[in-house]
Amino acid sequence: MRDFHRIIRYLAYTLELLVLFMLQEIPGLLPQIFGVRPVLLLPAVLTIALFEEDLPAMAFGIVGGLFCDFGLSGVLGFHALFLAVLCYLVSHISRTFFQINLLTALVTGFWTIALVVLAQWFFLYYFSYSYPGYAFTHHYLPKYCYTMLFVPLLYLLNRALSQALQPPER
Amino acid sequence: MKDFFKTSSFRVLLIAVVVLLGLIIYTATAGGSFLASLLGFVSSPMQSIATDVTGNVTEFLDLDGYSKDELKELVSVLQEEKAQLEDQLVDYETLKQENDQLKTQLGLEEEEPENQLRAASVIGRDPNDVFYGFSIDQGTLSGVTQGAPVITDKGLVGVVTQAYATTSKVACLLSEDVKVAAWSPKRQESGVITSDIATAGTGLLRLSYLSGSTQVQEGDIITTSGEGGSYPQGLKIGTVQSVEKSENDISQYAVIRPFEDLTTVKEVFVITDFPGKGEGEAQLDQDAQTGGEDPE
Repeated sequence: MRDFHRIIRYLAYTLELLVLFMLQEIPGLLPQIFGVRPVLLLPAVLTIALFEEDLPAMAFGIVGGLFCDFGLSGVLGFHALFLAVLCYLVSHISRTFFQINLLTALVTGFWTIALVVLAQWFFLYYFSYSYPGYAFTHHYLPKYCYTMLFVPLLYLLNRALSQALQPPER
Repeated sequence: MKDFFKTSSFRVLLIAVVVLLGLIIYTATAGGSFLASLLGFVSSPMQSIATDVTGNVTEFLDLDGYSKDELKELVSVLQEEKAQLEDQLVDYETLKQENDQLKTQLGLEEEEPENQLRAASVIGRDPNDVFYGFSIDQGTLSGVTQGAPVITDKGLVGVVTQAYATTSKVACLLSEDVKVAAWSPKRQESGVITSDIATAGTGLLRLSYLSGSTQVQEGDIITTSGEGGSYPQGLKIGTVQSVEKSENDISQYAVIRPFEDLTTVKEVFVITDFPGKGEGEAQLDQDAQTGGEDPE
């Protein structure tokens, strides 16, 4: 019974990631602010990691990261690698050091999404293109802020999924 | 803390890191991969439907947003434009007839090499792409290959950078990676269409490497020159908005406003084959083969 609930929960998370991937990719669906759109998969996998054990958290980090890589047309594995490590750490830290609530989710989102966006800028832009400073202030920074807006929403969604699909206590 | 590094889950993490590093190296060297094709196979049908629905709703809302006065004004502008085009059409028909007669008199046979097109819809725009690249719903199964030019009825919009089984990724002209040999047919001057993040943000392009005494002027139409064999000759790109001095040397560059809004394009055509395709590469190969050898 416990395994059944876990499988259903994991399927729900996978479906959530697929839907979010489509939502963030559909042209014109999410409005542009300062010419950028949010990356919904980042807060999604990082808030899933708050509620799951380290290995499932890492697995969902890889799935979300592969979707990001596929969407960007870049090298497959870059986001998957980063998000795998980050989700593993987030899961471990959240289970060891603090309680999970909206505030801790926001703090976690604040530094983890900043790390991912910085890594994108450094590894995918800085060495390859011109005007890295301009790109950082006009693309990466607004994208980071816009993405942060979705952390509370996805935290509440994943908390609801996690609580609703837990095995009933005897 | 020591125990943390000895846990089995940490070992699994290390294995995952190694595997993902391998995946990065593999896809960086081999280009497309089975995994990417699989992801495209799963997501593209759903993306196509979702994009269609969103597009229809947006279109409906946009039309609904016009007031009666705005619609009247739009109709009058369009009628005026139609009258002008009809006048031009009369001139065109006369010139065409004259041209055909002259060709018949001179015994010229017209070669009409045609581009082979494949229609495609834009199904995705990734928020991580700085240069407004997009995904289309046609891939290698439809004959789309890496490097194929992508156009609309208004002109060139980009080039296919990754072709998977059922989807492809397109880098648009605003990308710093895309360089197109272009010219002004009116002035007979060539240059290279380039872009960077600063110009991409405004939706404009640059026609670089014009000479210091360039005759290119505001309003001139810029098309592909066909040099290098990467793009067919004569694809429209845009009009010259201004001509500026280069920051680095004595050359000048023209700021080009593309005919198509590259950030919102929805329906495109992929040119799967065209006359002169790959001629530049063939020439380069030939030069490389003969370059190292003494002709005698």
